Amino acid sequence: MPSILGKLESVGAAPAILCAAIAGAGLPGCHEPLAAPLPAGHAPDAAPLRGGTLRLAAWQDVRNLDPAGPSDGLALQAEHLIFSGLVDFDFSGKLSADLADHWEVEEDGRSVVFFLRRGVTMHDGEELTADDVKRSAERALHPTTPDPNASYYAGIVGYDAYTGGRAGHLDGVVVEGRYVVRFRLAEPDATFLPVMAMHTLRPVCRTGGDRYSDTWVPCGAGPFKLLPGGWQRGSALRLVRHEGYFRPGLPRLDAVEWTFNMQTLAQRFRFESGQIDLLRDITQADLSRFAADPRWAPYGTAGADIRVVGEVMNTRVPPFDRVEVRRAVAAAIDRAHYRTLKPAYMTVLSQLLPPGAPGYDPGVPGQRYDYAAALEHMRKAGYPYDPATGRGGWPEPVVYPLFDGGTLVYTAQLLQQDLAKIGLRLVLRMMSWPAFLATQQRPGGAAISQAGWEMDYPDPSSYFDPLFATSSIGVESSNNASFYSNPTFDDLIARAHREVDANRRAALYREASAILSDDAPWAFVYAYHEYYLRQPYVREFALHPVWTLDLTRTWVDRATGTPGSERAP
Amino acid sequence: MNRFARRLAWSAVVVWAAVSVAFALNTLLPGDPARMVSGPQARPADVARIREQLGLDRAPLVQYARFWRRLVHLGPRVVERDGAPEHAGCVAVLPLGPSAVHVSLGKSFQMRQPVVEIIAVRLPRTLALAVAGLLVQLSLGVAAGTFAAVRRGAWIDRALVGTSLLGVSAPTFLIALLLQYVFSRQLRWLPLDGFGSTLADHARCLVLPALTLGIYGAAFYTRLVRDEMLVLLRQDWVRTAYAKGLPRWQVVVRHGLRNAAVPVVTALGLDFGSLMGGAIVTETVFRWPGLGELSVRAMLDRDGPVVCGCVVVTAVAIVATNLAVDLVYARLDPRVTVPRAPRTR
Repeated sequence: MPSILGKLESVGAAPAILCAAIAGAGLPGCHEPLAAPLPAGHAPDAAPLRGGTLRLAAWQDVRNLDPAGPSDGLALQAEHLIFSGLVDFDFSGKLSADLADHWEVEEDGRSVVFFLRRGVTMHDGEELTADDVKRSAERALHPTTPDPNASYYAGIVGYDAYTGGRAGHLDGVVVEGRYVVRFRLAEPDATFLPVMAMHTLRPVCRTGGDRYSDTWVPCGAGPFKLLPGGWQRGSALRLVRHEGYFRPGLPRLDAVEWTFNMQTLAQRFRFESGQIDLLRDITQADLSRFAADPRWAPYGTAGADIRVVGEVMNTRVPPFDRVEVRRAVAAAIDRAHYRTLKPAYMTVLSQLLPPGAPGYDPGVPGQRYDYAAALEHMRKAGYPYDPATGRGGWPEPVVYPLFDGGTLVYTAQLLQQDLAKIGLRLVLRMMSWPAFLATQQRPGGAAISQAGWEMDYPDPSSYFDPLFATSSIGVESSNNASFYSNPTFDDLIARAHREVDANRRAALYREASAILSDDAPWAFVYAYHEYYLRQPYVREFALHPVWTLDLTRTWVDRATGTPGSERAP
Repeated sequence: MNRFARRLAWSAVVVWAAVSVAFALNTLLPGDPARMVSGPQARPADVARIREQLGLDRAPLVQYARFWRRLVHLGPRVVERDGAPEHAGCVAVLPLGPSAVHVSLGKSFQMRQPVVEIIAVRLPRTLALAVAGLLVQLSLGVAAGTFAAVRRGAWIDRALVGTSLLGVSAPTFLIALLLQYVFSRQLRWLPLDGFGSTLADHARCLVLPALTLGIYGAAFYTRLVRDEMLVLLRQDWVRTAYAKGLPRWQVVVRHGLRNAAVPVVTALGLDFGSLMGGAIVTETVFRWPGLGELSVRAMLDRDGPVVCGCVVVTAVAIVATNLAVDLVYARLDPRVTVPRAPRTR
């Protein structure tokens, strides 16, 4: 065996160690070259092969894998692999039948009947029936279940009585045969089917019982299943192929392995050596290097822009209780400047709906950077500002709370500079994430702060209703963090909620969007999307427009065995 | 025995005070644990229902009283996992006839597991890392410190003192990254991070985090031992030992090192106690799933039961270590005694 010094010398370790130290300290300017992509075993047009394990990593952890329990962004991706729903969204973002063979809307939209596929096998080997659908719905909405999405199903007949503990069953879910189940709604609801595609009511195995339990091993009818011991909390998750999956020949992978809580630098090291196959958490510096390397250029995949990020102005707190000040802020933000921070992830945004959301219309009159207009709005508000002398503007400093996460610490400084040019002086105040949320969502809390929002289900209502409806203003905390209340706007989105004609519905949302852009409770700044790098041997990998990860058709085609001597712990 | 009982009583007071402060901080700091469980996008109605389920709709004093009532209580002699829900997360510690004294730290808001179970999994990992790290610290630090003292003024002394200064100054994460780069990325001898699934995997995964803690701490022990030894080796009894013709190594080890052990044991006790709270940076960089990573995450998530559970464990570890250090003192140096309190008539 060569000596350590000899080996260090052979790899040119001295400068590399220095680089690692510098990179670790977060300083730019010193990098070792990127490894080459690892080749695939077959030609690009080769027929898909079954088998193999896809390995992923994430810097965070998953909290729960029960669709009825508390969740997070990463957990949703894993749940999507374990549980299938009656309906789902395809790769074009359109609603499609999944465990249901088809559905029928009856009684003028007050009833939806699902006809289940026959012969669908759950992970426990039992056949899926309408009883399972009803049991899973009642389990998820039971008063003792810690379901953070339960109220989305408040339109089901009998919801209040059941969740309030006054009824033993959910009357609005009616089994009409072994494979037929009816959902009765209190009133027509255009969002019901998209809401049904969420994970919450996805059928669970009979082992899940009729009450939520923290000790249950998640079991559904999705393409991958979790075996006992397959999830080491805080560490790793291994899912294996569900051989009884109802789509023939799918999934192709034998297994999917996730490693959690892995630092971004460690992820990159492992990705380059082929110990993980997809790279999701990438620093902007590393991403720039991968993007600039022609060998890696074909292997980056951007997801849909479904996350909207904006500066939230509390319409009850001065000076943002004046619409002209809000308009001034919306016009003063140089959005293109923001985007330079993370160009691979950000898209400049001028309206509420991001480009990846259903109903996005680039023709909607939105907010634009216009410095002269911003100064004019400040003058109209009664706080004229003279950029030449620096005099005028809002006389008091405005506190801008922020937390140490993502790009916020950088965008906050850009915002501070932009608003100083119109006479609004921000004081940045760093706090923890829980404290930030409490401050932002409390009436009279933050005057201005940044918020992000991602659709829970692909429909414009998933943005309009929670963020801006008067009904979303709570006593203790509010999703409507701008505390915006406009009866005309409320009426528009309520009508859109009930409207089943797609064109009329789109027109209502266009009108509502224009009102928001003009009233400016938010200054819409950018849309955010996921970005993945893959090794060339990862085939048929595409990001799902709603759930991000859908590995049903993905396969691995390694030219060689697992490279690297290290076993992934 | 009286003294020992008094120390125990004081220890209980210390643990109570630490846990109470942690509980108060976690309750009074801004931030809603129910919101943290539900997620930032959950609707207020759902957040309110979860708040009620977690008992967070009660007044802070009521929550505090419930916490202590639950911490130690009477329950069935055998705790069944799927038995009565109120005893689901309990550990029966002391059988009393058909019943037993139960200890329960409640259930994690976020992970929805009994905190006792979470800590029972994590504690041995933190213990392993703490012991391994201290062993590296001690073996490197004591050897280097002794050697430097014996060769006082020589180039090796200056080199060791300089290196130890570098070690004390270097942030832990930098040492960790350098070790990862060399031993995992380049040489591929050891895992980059993680915990592994077999005993052999655990051992391999432990090496780099233990070395990180060891190198960082060894620098401190080098300087401590060297300074102590320099003073001791100038004492009269050392000269006497040399005059009696004892070999140099015997003089250094038996007359120097043994006496230098008292401050080393003090520092070791303090280090062990704080490491049992978790070496947060090291655990995070190496993805070592111990108490440090757990407690930081719990604090950021406002996961009160886990925060209090970690504080209980850390406080007990520190108190127990201090008691143990006192006992070791007496063995190392019989002059170290605590005067008895005068009897009152």
